[in-house]
Amino acid sequence: MNVILQYYRSLGTARTLNLRIWRLNSTSADVATTTKGDEEEEFRVLDILKSRQRTKKKVTRRNDVQPDRADRMSIDQKWGNVWPGPKTFHPSSVPLPLRQGYVPKGHVPPGKKANAELMKIPNFLHLTPPVVKAQCEALKQFCTEWPSLLNSEEAIENHYPVETITSDYCHAGPTIRNPLARIATLRVKLSTLNLNKHAQDKFIRLVGERYDEETDLVTITADRCPLRQQNLDYVNYLLTACYHESWNVEDWEHDKTEEDMEYYDWDKNASKKSLVQWHLRATNMPNDLSDMDYVEYDISKIPNGEEYKNAVSSLMNNGESEETLKNYGAAVRKLLGLPEAKI
Amino acid sequence: MNIALAKLVQSISPKVQLLPWSPITSSQIHTSLPLCRIVSGKYRISKKRDKPLTYEMANPPHYIAHRKTWNSWNTSNIKGGLRRSETAIEDEFIRRFMSGTWHGLVCSEVIIKRQFNHIRVAAIVRRAVSPTKMYFLLGYSEELLANWLQCPVTLELQTVDSFQDVVFKYI
Repeated sequence: MNVILQYYRSLGTARTLNLRIWRLNSTSADVATTTKGDEEEEFRVLDILKSRQRTKKKVTRRNDVQPDRADRMSIDQKWGNVWPGPKTFHPSSVPLPLRQGYVPKGHVPPGKKANAELMKIPNFLHLTPPVVKAQCEALKQFCTEWPSLLNSEEAIENHYPVETITSDYCHAGPTIRNPLARIATLRVKLSTLNLNKHAQDKFIRLVGERYDEETDLVTITADRCPLRQQNLDYVNYLLTACYHESWNVEDWEHDKTEEDMEYYDWDKNASKKSLVQWHLRATNMPNDLSDMDYVEYDISKIPNGEEYKNAVSSLMNNGESEETLKNYGAAVRKLLGLPEAKI
Repeated sequence: MNIALAKLVQSISPKVQLLPWSPITSSQIHTSLPLCRIVSGKYRISKKRDKPLTYEMANPPHYIAHRKTWNSWNTSNIKGGLRRSETAIEDEFIRRFMSGTWHGLVCSEVIIKRQFNHIRVAAIVRRAVSPTKMYFLLGYSEELLANWLQCPVTLELQTVDSFQDVVFKYI
């Protein structure tokens, strides 16, 4: 250790000695003085254009500007830590050779630095696939398992027949409330409600156009209250009220005659009566039926009676068309035991 | 629009009586839509061809969504958006505040992006003042804007050495 130190010391003295020697040998100081004297002796030159004074402006380069962060990034870093959240594009922290901008053919688009276009467009640098995966993993602990019995659409429909539909809105503004979020819709299949024929008919009349025959869905929408919960309550109330009201039978409902019927009910019409009468006469059975007996008469006793009933009902309910008439003709032929129509 | 009308009125001396069919007397509302379409948002070529233009300035307004994007990003502009007028006025206010607070430093348009109740203000700024001052201005503008707009405001700035860095072309 001592030896090394001494060695260094000796080196140091040698350097200082050298310097001294150079200092003695140098003539720069003398030269400087002589040139100064020469200038003083010279005639001064009139500088009209002032070319000497026109010095270049100092170009100040800030030395406190750090080099780009992107240049110092290791290739195996975690990108999620560099760009943890949504942020405007910043060129010095994105190690990608990006270019953006329209230029004429043959030119190069502007680079990523000082490029406002890159700052404008929303980026998804915070949502790279590994980050999404990590976030999903973190959220997993808050998730519960899906009930195993609700394994199909039918099962869900069976267990939860009533469906409520509400919308959440995502928008920019100082408040997160959106007035459209108050609208609540309730959807239920009519067949899942416990209704008899009269109640179902009345229910359909009560809900009006909210019932869709094709899908058998009753859709009730409410937007009259300012809050979603109020609308949901109101929608539920409407369904309950309609349901119970449809079970009520008013006195005047018994006065409904055949002319008031909204559809053709074959059982209550003259067609059934004549069919039954014809059937009894054809089979030589005694006919001592009252009007109620005709209505309640079991049509399945008559061969091909069911088909005839359907044909007449569809003809009356759906109107005259080529198909219904054809069906009707075929049903009558079968009923009377006639051969099929030859074309 | 009003300036154009005023100039037209000035050019006609008061002694000359206006003809009944003159455009000033016949139409009260002076609409200069075609003029605006041709002139607005476009820059004239200078004599020496040395007028610096940024990328934003180099592309006239009809290239928005083709060559350049909007400077304001929010949901008020889409169909059925809420607070249309408020958002527009607030954006204009933010722009003026930014260009005034960062006086002579903002080299690009002020880009305003709104996400939920969060306002992100982005701009390219010259490194003409010391970093200390810049940090002060950053906090100052964020704090004041957040107080006025009642939203969290974030300034996301990019710095450049000089205005030369953002120049796209000279005309």
